[in-house]
Amino acid sequence: MHTPGRCFISIFEDEVHHTISSSKLFFPGEKVAIGASGGKDSTVLASVLKTLNERHNYGLDLVLLSIDEGIKGYRDDSLETVKWNAIQYEMPLKVVGYDELYGWTMDQVVETIGKKGNCTYCGVFRRQALDRGAKMLGIKHVVTGHNADDVAETILMNLLRGDLARLSRSTSIVTGDATSDVKRSKPLKYSYEKEIVLYAYHKKLDYFSTECIYSPEAFRGSARSLIKNLERVRPTAILDIVRSGEDMARLVPVNTAKSCACKGDVAPAVVAAEEDGLGGCGSSNGRSSGNEMAAMEKQLRQNEAAEGLEVDVSKQMLPQAQRDKENVKTLPIRGVSANPKILGKQTLGNCERCGYMSSQAICQACMLLEGLNKNRPQIQI
Amino acid sequence: MVTKIEAGSQDSQPLQRPCKKCNNQEATLTSRTEPVCKDCFTQYIYLKCVRHIGLLGKETQGPYGSQPTRRYLLGLSLGTSSTILLHILNSYVEAALSKGRKSPLDLDIIVVDTSVSEQDEALQATLDAYRQRYPRLTFEVLPLTSVLGISSIDWTALPSLKQDQSPAQQLADLFERLPSTTSRADILRLFIRHILIHTALSRSCQAVLLGHSTTALAELTLAETAKGRGFSLPWQINDGVLPIEDFSPDPDNAPADKKRTIRVHHPLRELFRQELVTYTTLTEPPLTDIIPAEDVVNKASPVVSHRDLSIEEVVLRYFADVEVNYPSIVANVVKTTAKLDRLDAEERCGVCGMTLDELGDERWKGEIGDSGGGEEGAGSLCYGCERSVRG
Repeated sequence: MHTPGRCFISIFEDEVHHTISSSKLFFPGEKVAIGASGGKDSTVLASVLKTLNERHNYGLDLVLLSIDEGIKGYRDDSLETVKWNAIQYEMPLKVVGYDELYGWTMDQVVETIGKKGNCTYCGVFRRQALDRGAKMLGIKHVVTGHNADDVAETILMNLLRGDLARLSRSTSIVTGDATSDVKRSKPLKYSYEKEIVLYAYHKKLDYFSTECIYSPEAFRGSARSLIKNLERVRPTAILDIVRSGEDMARLVPVNTAKSCACKGDVAPAVVAAEEDGLGGCGSSNGRSSGNEMAAMEKQLRQNEAAEGLEVDVSKQMLPQAQRDKENVKTLPIRGVSANPKILGKQTLGNCERCGYMSSQAICQACMLLEGLNKNRPQIQI
Repeated sequence: MVTKIEAGSQDSQPLQRPCKKCNNQEATLTSRTEPVCKDCFTQYIYLKCVRHIGLLGKETQGPYGSQPTRRYLLGLSLGTSSTILLHILNSYVEAALSKGRKSPLDLDIIVVDTSVSEQDEALQATLDAYRQRYPRLTFEVLPLTSVLGISSIDWTALPSLKQDQSPAQQLADLFERLPSTTSRADILRLFIRHILIHTALSRSCQAVLLGHSTTALAELTLAETAKGRGFSLPWQINDGVLPIEDFSPDPDNAPADKKRTIRVHHPLRELFRQELVTYTTLTEPPLTDIIPAEDVVNKASPVVSHRDLSIEEVVLRYFADVEVNYPSIVANVVKTTAKLDRLDAEERCGVCGMTLDELGDERWKGEIGDSGGGEEGAGSLCYGCERSVRG
């Protein structure tokens, strides 16, 4: 039967297949965990991957991996959805709880630190939780349902935040590589959110949609509303932003930007998954603290005030001709190995405490936990 | 004088809210969270602009012993920012002349008339007001049709022109065939830019000065990002030398020196739009007297539809909100973009004139599975211009 819906479904699946094969995301026999929240993105991802795996003989061993943040009334229902998905798609399901991993549920975290800023904890914990859960299952590859809208949103957000390092990382389709324990990828990176909703609708997929009860407005919310308005004016704007972001990533000084996992002549950048700047709490997508913009405004003003008091001697002394020369870089010619820029400040190691991949001696999660645990006796006694 | 008297009376009658900068006058305004007086505020705006002109002056200094005349082209849109730029540069030159010195720079002031159609009366009235206010300066109006045939544009990359029609009709027809309001607004902006740069080059001006505020540059950054031009952002936002390509089909016609360059600078780049709006009310007499209503200049162009919003307008509305509460974040967007590398290559886009990103194009086609709009005979366009021209 040929209906518009059927036609759309096969086009959408072909697009995702193209992304997967051109970026060489998987190898035959690979065990892959699908980060499943019960939301539309991860449900569609599970459905598409199951279909493509069978149609194109990827030979993948697919597993659903779910994180229970321990937020009463938020996860209970969506976890039911994931369980139902597991039965439908005949995939094994592993649920990992924050309490199990960190000794804290999100409800307990909020009790301690309040509603402001708790998304930072949730986001940092979740990123590791997926990797840790995958490790428990002996799986080295986690796929997440981040779509083009999410990526575009992150690009604009990091542009507003002035965070070029994150901007360049967030555009990569694969984070982490052979040297890290767990590789992350986003096969739906080039799929519009609208397509995902439509796919779920035509395939009659069961998903659960709810905003996290703790999520306040912030940079991400601001970027999100801008993207929605841009999309209304020009629907392709979302992918155009993704394209811009990928290109800008290559312009970030001291960075080997590479957005595909293919092994070219340039060593691929190792991207710390914990810092790729993509949140993912269901539909609200890891918004961080509500006063983020105001806090940054304050910080920037202080910087500006301080700037007037200092003189960059080296900058002032440099003759203009030389400065111009330094500003202009020649494009590397394809095929010829250009001298690869070295990934500067960030050298990836492992956290001293938990062993998780981190650019610092102690990873973000352990730092946050330390702060939390300091306050713990007061609550529990 | 006034300041002194007030300063004298300070002991008996302390100021209610003294200006943070001079401490001599009552603060009536707020500049970057600090209460300031009118004089300090206008001085602040003036100096921010003049400092950039001074830096540009050093960069455009001729070799030792040569005539130190500097000739800049000022793109006047008749909006708030470019009018202020004109006003400050005029004051700067007059200050030098009044001290008996030579004029530090010569200005070619160019207004691009986007009305396309017959003589625009509102525009003429506006220009009369400007001429009256600045009798020493010359204001030139170039019609948008002067873009036709400009060699810095690859005309084969655009929808073909109907040569049998009048120039105005040719342009109107060209714009009509562009796919959307955003495309039309985008191409119009680029055409104006081409006219200014082309004129500057033909008159041996050393730089094109544009009135963009921090806010305008931040808007441009986000709008260009949304149009897929992230790659050329550092070329568009930062001040400095731009290489200008020559696409003229007849090589004999082309100048022998193919490598042409021009400086493009934004002397008001450190000032917020709201600060500039405030400034227009503070000059003597206020600049608001001569700055025409928005619809006379900006929206007057019939080639861009009024019904639909363009990406620029969406971003403009967004930043109008952000600037009120978080001005530093607006400024930060521009500073962040300034940190990106300017990558240069041989090939340039036929419409926007920026470096083509072959590596990015190749990769994008691979990832999206997009065969691209590589139509036969058409020149190479960057990703963003491809979108604007072909949808």
